[in-house]
Amino acid sequence: MAAGPEFETSAARKVLIAEDDANIVESLSFVLGRAGFEVGAALDGNEVLRRLRVEPFDVLVLDLMLPRRNGFEVLKAIKAEPTLRALPVLVLTAKGQPQDRRLVETIGAEAFMTKPFSNTDLVEAVRRLVRS
Amino acid sequence: MTPLPLVGPRIRDRRRALGVTQAGLASTLGISASYLNLIEAGRRRIGGALLKQIAEALDLGIDDLDGAAERRVLSDLAELAAEPLLVGLRLDPATALQLAGHHPGWARALVTLHRAWLDRGRTVSALSDRLRHDPFLPDAVHKLLTRVAAIKSSAEIVQGAQDLAPDQLRRFAVIVGSDSQRLAELAQVLAAYFERAHTAVRSVTPVGEVDDFLADRGHHFPALEDAAEALRGAAGITGDGAQHAEAGLANYLARAHGEHLPPASPRMALARRAAELACSDGPLADELRRATTLTNEAARRRAGQVLTDYLAAAVLMPYDAFLAAARAMRFDAEALGRTFDTGFAAACERLTTLHRPGAEGPPFALMRVDAAGYLSRRVPLPRLPMPRHGSACPLWAAYQALQSPGAIVRQLVEFPGGERFVMVARTVEQPGPGFPMPRRLASLMLACDALYADQTIYGDGLDLSSTAPALPVGPNCRICTRTGCAYRQEDPMIDA
Repeated sequence: MAAGPEFETSAARKVLIAEDDANIVESLSFVLGRAGFEVGAALDGNEVLRRLRVEPFDVLVLDLMLPRRNGFEVLKAIKAEPTLRALPVLVLTAKGQPQDRRLVETIGAEAFMTKPFSNTDLVEAVRRLVRS
Repeated sequence: MTPLPLVGPRIRDRRRALGVTQAGLASTLGISASYLNLIEAGRRRIGGALLKQIAEALDLGIDDLDGAAERRVLSDLAELAAEPLLVGLRLDPATALQLAGHHPGWARALVTLHRAWLDRGRTVSALSDRLRHDPFLPDAVHKLLTRVAAIKSSAEIVQGAQDLAPDQLRRFAVIVGSDSQRLAELAQVLAAYFERAHTAVRSVTPVGEVDDFLADRGHHFPALEDAAEALRGAAGITGDGAQHAEAGLANYLARAHGEHLPPASPRMALARRAAELACSDGPLADELRRATTLTNEAARRRAGQVLTDYLAAAVLMPYDAFLAAARAMRFDAEALGRTFDTGFAAACERLTTLHRPGAEGPPFALMRVDAAGYLSRRVPLPRLPMPRHGSACPLWAAYQALQSPGAIVRQLVEFPGGERFVMVARTVEQPGPGFPMPRRLASLMLACDALYADQTIYGDGLDLSSTAPALPVGPNCRICTRTGCAYRQEDPMIDA
């Protein structure tokens, strides 16, 4: 199984999951945790930015439809903030419409994945972002 | 009201149908048979009491005889003949009179069908708009996919169960179970929606086709930008802006094509004519040839005009110079119109074309609307719904601007689906016949996603975060889901 433990490549790497669906947060935390990542979660857009400003993360997995401050805004704020700009962002969304994807790419997301995703692909995408 | 000449034949037809002789009807009416003969032959015009008397004697409504019904049918037939679909038949308005007079039933049948056809067309486009922009659908699909994602992710964990602790296994099995239940409920809601709604249909009007064509091409035509640069070179235009281009274009027209436009011709007209003469066989024809989605001549003609205007604008407002100025002026359309001497309207149009890969401006939507609500220009954005037919939401800045001509109206608006835009509108005076005829005033509106508004002067002083207060608007009443709106003019087509 590709999602098996691989501590040697991803030890101590921190991933923040920005997602408002508790079940998805739970399963993602589990698979990323099993893949050796240290995982944090934020349930709304404001919390994402608050967490990122006080705690260093290596990758952000960002859902677009977040309460309080949507994923577009969060992404834009990250890319506008000199201390956060370098953080790789994997945008995760159920709204796989091409216009959303274009908008996200314009703002500057590093990767894009639509729901439903496979755990293996997601872990692989996070690994790729950590390496780059 | 003076009856039409057809009143006579109608009286005769009706009299004969009732089996009454001319002499018999004349005596009932207390007039001579020869006078009735003249009336029936259409050689005497009658009205007032006698007409009323005849209507009663023949058991007809007065509007069947005094021409009112006939005039209605005639005006309806005239409207029908003006239908773009029928223009090629070159229907003679004079023959409508004969049709309505001699075959009133057929005339009415045509008019009835025309009305039903118009009505169907409006229904179809409203449904199509509704389905494309209905906030319910993306929302439902989003929820659906979120549930599927949760189930899939948990199911994958359960599948690799060999290295899983029993309590973990149970936990993810519970998630799969509960999310499957929610997924089933969502699917039922969606199925119920489609029982009420209908299938979307693509527009078949020329305007709609051209809109689709421009949208497919992303409102940017690299070949025309190149052609504009070449034309500037050929005309020896060096500076930016229309003022610099004026003399060059006039000389070019005279030198290369032997044309002399009247002095003081609008600069845009000079540029358009030069574009037409220089490029109608070249880049303009090439673009049109590639426009395979245009199905009829009317649409191709309209697309040709739009592309010529594009080229003319690119001559007067060259891409690089315009983009640089726009960035420096933070996309202030009025200031750009002054800088390039083309005016507010042309600057707004040009702002919607800044999509050169690698040198892009923020995406702008554009619409132009007159006081009657007629929408004559429409550049939508993927996330900004704009009706193909009829009016948009009365709250949009485009309509508000008509209440204060000449002043810029700016709004931060939110659609029922949560999409936010900054809308900016101002009236523009269009050339008209002058006093004593009314001014030709239209309202021109630019809109951009609230996410981009901070790059523009129009975002200044606004709180652009998604939780800040914004004016709640909709696409248009027929397809809007805001049931309690005080500005509603029409009932929604489908209950949300």
